[in-house]
Amino acid sequence: MAEIAGDETPPLPSSSGAEESSLLSSPPSPTAISGDEPPPRTRKPGTKRLVLTASVLLSFLVGLPLLLKSTEIHRSPLPSDAIADLSRRLQSHPPSFPCGLHAVFLRSGPGSPVASLADQLERAISTQHHLLPASSTAGNISVSVTIQSGGGCTSSTAAASPWRCGLLTAADSVRDDEVFDELLHSALGGRDGDGMKVYTIVIAEDDDGKGTRVVIGKHRHAWVVGKVDEAEALSLIGNVFIKYFMNGGIEEGETGIGKGEFMPVGSDGNVVLSFSLLNADPNDWVYDWEFKNIGERILTPVVEALRPVADINIESQVLYHTPKSSYSYSDDKLGGNVLSMGDIPFFVNSNEWHLDTSISATGRSKVLQFVVYIPSARECPLYLQLPDGELSKTNAFISPMWGGVVIWNPPGCSVGSKKAHGTRRQMSSQELMETLEIFIGQLRQLFGLKPNYHAQGMDVATKFLVSEKGFAQWELDLLYRHHACSNLLSCVATLESLSSLVQSLPRMIVMDEIGRQVELSLEAASLAQRNATLGIGDSSAVSATRARALAEDAFFHPSIMSISYASVEHYFAIYMV
Amino acid sequence: MAFARWVPGPSRPVLFFLLKTLPLLVLLTFSSAAPPAASSPAAVHNNNWAVLVCTSRFWFNYRHMANTLSLYRTVKRLGIPDERIILMLADDMACNPRNNYPAQVFNNENHQLNLYGDNVEVDYRGYEVTVENFLRVLTGRHESAVPRSKRLLSDEGSHILLYMTGHGGDEFLKFQDNEELQSHDLADAVKQMKEKHRFKELLIMVDTCQAATLFSQLQSPGVLAIGSSMKGENSYSHHLDSDIGVSVVDRFTFHTLAFFEKLNMYSNASLNSLFNSYDPSMLLSTAYYRMDLYKRALNEVPVTNFFGSVMKTIHTDSAYTGFLAAHNAETPLPIGNDIVDDVMLQNEASARRSNIEETKVSFSKFCKIK
Repeated sequence: MAEIAGDETPPLPSSSGAEESSLLSSPPSPTAISGDEPPPRTRKPGTKRLVLTASVLLSFLVGLPLLLKSTEIHRSPLPSDAIADLSRRLQSHPPSFPCGLHAVFLRSGPGSPVASLADQLERAISTQHHLLPASSTAGNISVSVTIQSGGGCTSSTAAASPWRCGLLTAADSVRDDEVFDELLHSALGGRDGDGMKVYTIVIAEDDDGKGTRVVIGKHRHAWVVGKVDEAEALSLIGNVFIKYFMNGGIEEGETGIGKGEFMPVGSDGNVVLSFSLLNADPNDWVYDWEFKNIGERILTPVVEALRPVADINIESQVLYHTPKSSYSYSDDKLGGNVLSMGDIPFFVNSNEWHLDTSISATGRSKVLQFVVYIPSARECPLYLQLPDGELSKTNAFISPMWGGVVIWNPPGCSVGSKKAHGTRRQMSSQELMETLEIFIGQLRQLFGLKPNYHAQGMDVATKFLVSEKGFAQWELDLLYRHHACSNLLSCVATLESLSSLVQSLPRMIVMDEIGRQVELSLEAASLAQRNATLGIGDSSAVSATRARALAEDAFFHPSIMSISYASVEHYFAIYMV
Repeated sequence: MAFARWVPGPSRPVLFFLLKTLPLLVLLTFSSAAPPAASSPAAVHNNNWAVLVCTSRFWFNYRHMANTLSLYRTVKRLGIPDERIILMLADDMACNPRNNYPAQVFNNENHQLNLYGDNVEVDYRGYEVTVENFLRVLTGRHESAVPRSKRLLSDEGSHILLYMTGHGGDEFLKFQDNEELQSHDLADAVKQMKEKHRFKELLIMVDTCQAATLFSQLQSPGVLAIGSSMKGENSYSHHLDSDIGVSVVDRFTFHTLAFFEKLNMYSNASLNSLFNSYDPSMLLSTAYYRMDLYKRALNEVPVTNFFGSVMKTIHTDSAYTGFLAAHNAETPLPIGNDIVDDVMLQNEASARRSNIEETKVSFSKFCKIK
């Protein structure tokens, strides 16, 4: 300003706006200001300022969506509608598998007609069906009856009966049970078949003098031999079907298949069976076993049979210096050391038994421990005493969801005899195979079935055929059904919690992988449900296991963390300031 | 946190921060509108887990480490195995250069008990003890490479004991002197655990200042919580060990241990007696417990339900007899002479088994115990 005015003071800036603008708008020429008043502003303050302000504001407004888009969080869209839909469908129609009951009468003389028999049987079934606990997964039961008398067969259903007429007669039933089982299997078509599973019960009216007896085979059929009249036959058929084929022998009030603690499968569908040989005191004797050759060979059919339910891996190890942690007392009468059932819960000495050494078990698979405990010389022979005073025949017990223990006393153990210390011995293959039989029984128990059936509650002598797969086909059907149902329900519950979690944390990143896993899981779940309505147990179990594994993978994805996510204030603080 | 409804789909950045109208209400409806998980029948208690967390670092917080190790020793003694204990220690006192007694940690000035003896398995040590790792352990969301020993592999039949000690305040617990676990984070994690059925019952014990505020936001059923002091109160250390130079144990934990030293794994002292054993005049603070979310009566719950470990066992009545025979007769033919051979094989096998039975019986007659 000093250059503008010569010896005049510059005008004060506190004057009115008009003057100020005149100061700003007029060019700084010394001649104009000296002496004169600056010319008043002719136009309203305006367009330039307006344009400047507007352009700044506009650029901000235009840039704002770009800014927000560049700082948005990536959320993969989850199909929550589909999840809610599936959940509603499952709640209104719980998954149930339709089954079929086919009764075959091998008669020599005349009797009631086919249609009336079918009606009576259907009535008998429907009253008993829903009484027992484990039958919740079975849906509609369709009943059909076939009568073979003389040379021909009549059937109650219009559709072709699977029974091959004339292949078997009542006289065949006197042959050995295993043989007759296979004959029946071939007479009923010989394949397992797709679609709805049909259970067949054959009544062979043949009086072989041994009285009435029932034999339940290892496929999907059973038969009754002996002189039975029709009413008795019908009630027997109903009993066998409901009690065993539908319920697996679980009585009312017992816990068995279907309850959570009898489904020892990891959430990713894997199970590791870990077999351990425990030498309590290697100073006395050291045992080894040939598990690699014998055990794995024998267990292969079992692993195959359980494949739809779980992917099973088998491992084995030998451990030393593993004493038990409960106390046993010596009983001279029984000739050994005795453990009572009250000591058993404290038997597993987790401090010294380092059982969990599996390398193939991933984070979410389940490990079941099968332990052979070899007592030391001090406590050998070690017996398990039942509450009624009897000694246990197997010396074995299980803990649900953990595994099983067998106490094996080395042959010829006696406290008095002096033995060379630490002699290395091999468990004989016969002993090993017998221990494996106990382990198979325990595996059945862990999955909710009985290790072996005693014919309780049936009026007639019942025999159960034993399968090399460890489970009869009808037992496998039960397992598939229960696991399919439970996995399906658990999968849907997981997806629902995931969906509500994602919705409740709007600023949480949802990765693409999670969205993909949810979609695949929904697909598998729908497939499982469709197969369930068709009655196909094994593929439904496979899809349901897969659906659950994917849902759990999505829910437990490490990128979802429940730390409170950045609030709006946080967002402003980072990007705006 | 104030958010409007988040529409699933491509995010609408402009909408969300303009519609800040329904803050907490919407959040609440969403978290409570989560449909209940498919109601499973009441699970049976079949295993126990313990998560023991020490969150303080530095030598002068020796007592927090000693607290945690004392609880570790107690639960191991009462039966919980290492594979079901997650032990998180934020610093190393036993091998600290200032420790006069290397590799030894004491919780009493009489030095009678070395807590760091043999057989201590620390799962998370040093800088691995962070809020994030702690919440990952609780919710189960680990990276796939994390080994099984560092995971909480509980299921719907598990009882979990969660013990936390360190420095805390109103609604927070300090981790490693640079971050905090807030009470609503803990409540959130517990809610997630309950939804995934990761526990049947949970007992939370907190030994910090103003401990009771840490579990004030919990809402999941089946949770029982006890803290060493209430809001506005401090928790105090028990005594100073002049040899080591720092306080070696806190009052609340000291009295808890005094209670447990009298027990062994067969005892059935109840939780009620444990909670009633805390005397405010001895603790110099009020031990406050919260049982509104817990259905069972405290005098019916034995302490071994949380602090010990009892396995549920079922006797195996019989083996799956006949399995071997069935396996040997692998491919039976429907008709033919092979059937007869197979039958003979089976008969031999069963005869062999009955022979073994007899020899077993005869051996037992010979083995005499002196």
